Amino acid sequence: MMTIFRYTLRRFRGQILGWGIALALLCVLLILMYDSFATEQQFQELLEIYPSELTAFMGDFSTMATPEGWVSIEFFSYMPLILGIFGVLMGSGLLVSNEESGTLDLIMAHPVSRTALFMGRLLAFVTATVAILVIAWLGFIVSMTWSSMDIGWGRIWLPLLSLLAELLLFGTISLFLSMLLPSRRLAATTAGLLLVASFFITGLAKINEDLEPVAKLSPLNYYQTQEAFQGLNGTWLAGLLAAMVLFAALAWWCFQRRDIRVGGEGGWRLPSLPFRRSAG
Amino acid sequence: MSEETALMTQGLTKSYGKVRALGGVDLEVQRGEIFGYLGPNGAGKTTTIRCLLDLIRPNGGTVRVLGIDPQANPVAVRTRTGYLPGELQVDPNITVEGTLRYLNALRGNKADWGFVRQLTERLDLDLRPAIKNLSHGNKQKVGVVQALMHRPQLLLLDEPTLGLDPLMQREVLRLITEAKANGATVFFSSHIMSEVEAVAERVAIIRQGVVVEVAEPVSLINRALRRANVRFKQPVDISPLANVPGVTVLSRDDGTSVLLQVEGEMDGLIKALAAFPVSDFETERPSLEEIFLAYYEDDQKEE
Repeated sequence: MMTIFRYTLRRFRGQILGWGIALALLCVLLILMYDSFATEQQFQELLEIYPSELTAFMGDFSTMATPEGWVSIEFFSYMPLILGIFGVLMGSGLLVSNEESGTLDLIMAHPVSRTALFMGRLLAFVTATVAILVIAWLGFIVSMTWSSMDIGWGRIWLPLLSLLAELLLFGTISLFLSMLLPSRRLAATTAGLLLVASFFITGLAKINEDLEPVAKLSPLNYYQTQEAFQGLNGTWLAGLLAAMVLFAALAWWCFQRRDIRVGGEGGWRLPSLPFRRSAG
Repeated sequence: MSEETALMTQGLTKSYGKVRALGGVDLEVQRGEIFGYLGPNGAGKTTTIRCLLDLIRPNGGTVRVLGIDPQANPVAVRTRTGYLPGELQVDPNITVEGTLRYLNALRGNKADWGFVRQLTERLDLDLRPAIKNLSHGNKQKVGVVQALMHRPQLLLLDEPTLGLDPLMQREVLRLITEAKANGATVFFSSHIMSEVEAVAERVAIIRQGVVVEVAEPVSLINRALRRANVRFKQPVDISPLANVPGVTVLSRDDGTSVLLQVEGEMDGLIKALAAFPVSDFETERPSLEEIFLAYYEDDQKEE
């Protein structure tokens, strides 16, 4: 399992560095902007005229002058959507990308159990996600030394933990879908749609009470940004992590029972379309 | 299943949706044997091999590899097995050496690196280039090396000489024979008859997911149709020859020579020829390829 883990992590290093450095630079930019913008009176007046539809998605704009409000609105509010794409792509390709390229066939012909392969890959995905957030966190704490903003290097982890749980959840949902659906692309698209739908339903439920029951099913409903600084809701965090474990377990269960595909074996065999039938 | 059996399948079936890939494959390969598995593309050769390694799950039947059920204990089977897939796919960005070291690490670094170097030298394989820069033939050599490098008890080779030049094909066949001499069992699929004829002790012919024949290559040849070319001292009426059971006249000229096809024993033909002024008699042994094609011609006629 550790060979699989090390090899997979090495394969992910480009993505870890790419996403991590990009996020760290964004953190530096946002924190340096805080001193210039957030405390300006004119900026505060501008924020007051923003429509409630926008604040529903971004958070409470009245707190934007505070360091916690600033990083929550300018960074954490949309990060599940941006980094969620990473989670969805990584999750959908964790096993199936190798399967579609045909490389999984040879790996599985070696003395590696399906469980060891699955766990090695999953552990690498979790480690890569944590590593990206650690690089982003370093961006926060380094840039805070150049700014008047002082959140505290430990407190910034509170919303980061919630973000981590969301990313792992969407990653494992995507992984589970990749075990069920005939291609990685379809799994990633479906998981991506779930992510976007979850983002909009959670936001819209704040301005439309009728959507609240639906929003309760949305994973992003339990994502904590500003609230996390006041005290992380442990139940919500544990709930997200439990859902992640559930989807990982379902994906593992499916992987144990399915064929290792090569060249489309085991895919959905949809009936031929009429024009295709006549073409032959 | 005896101690001597390396590989056994009974009633092995596998379908992909409505497409039947294997329709009840029965095979038994003895330990230390080189066993050829013949069939055209899509006959079920690769599907059989992938069932043996638990890469795919059969719909029915029994499989035992070195006495182990691959579904119950796939790791034990794979530990003892070297596998060459029909088309080797590995990470294209890693070097040949990196690939071999990674695959060796998956085996707990069991391979002796000195032996790996011997294999690469014999196959004239450079360890330095990235896989993506290799020709198809060189990629195939990587596949052969990784299958052999840990000296497995059982070799499952799917088209082992595919894409190799004739010299390298011969070298790979030599490696297979050496592996057998060292006690390994070799099960290899192919549609190149000459290589099967050269190394295999027994062959199975698979047609549309069913094994239709298992025999030694020589007995298959002896059992099959032969051609006999007969020349006469003077023009003769050959109609009595056409009436000999199992004999078919393929071509004739002005009565001084005739090409016959003989099914089974030659005895009847030779007795009939005793009445003719024969100047020359020549028989041709059919190649395994002709025998193999005959199975498929029969099938096409049925259709």
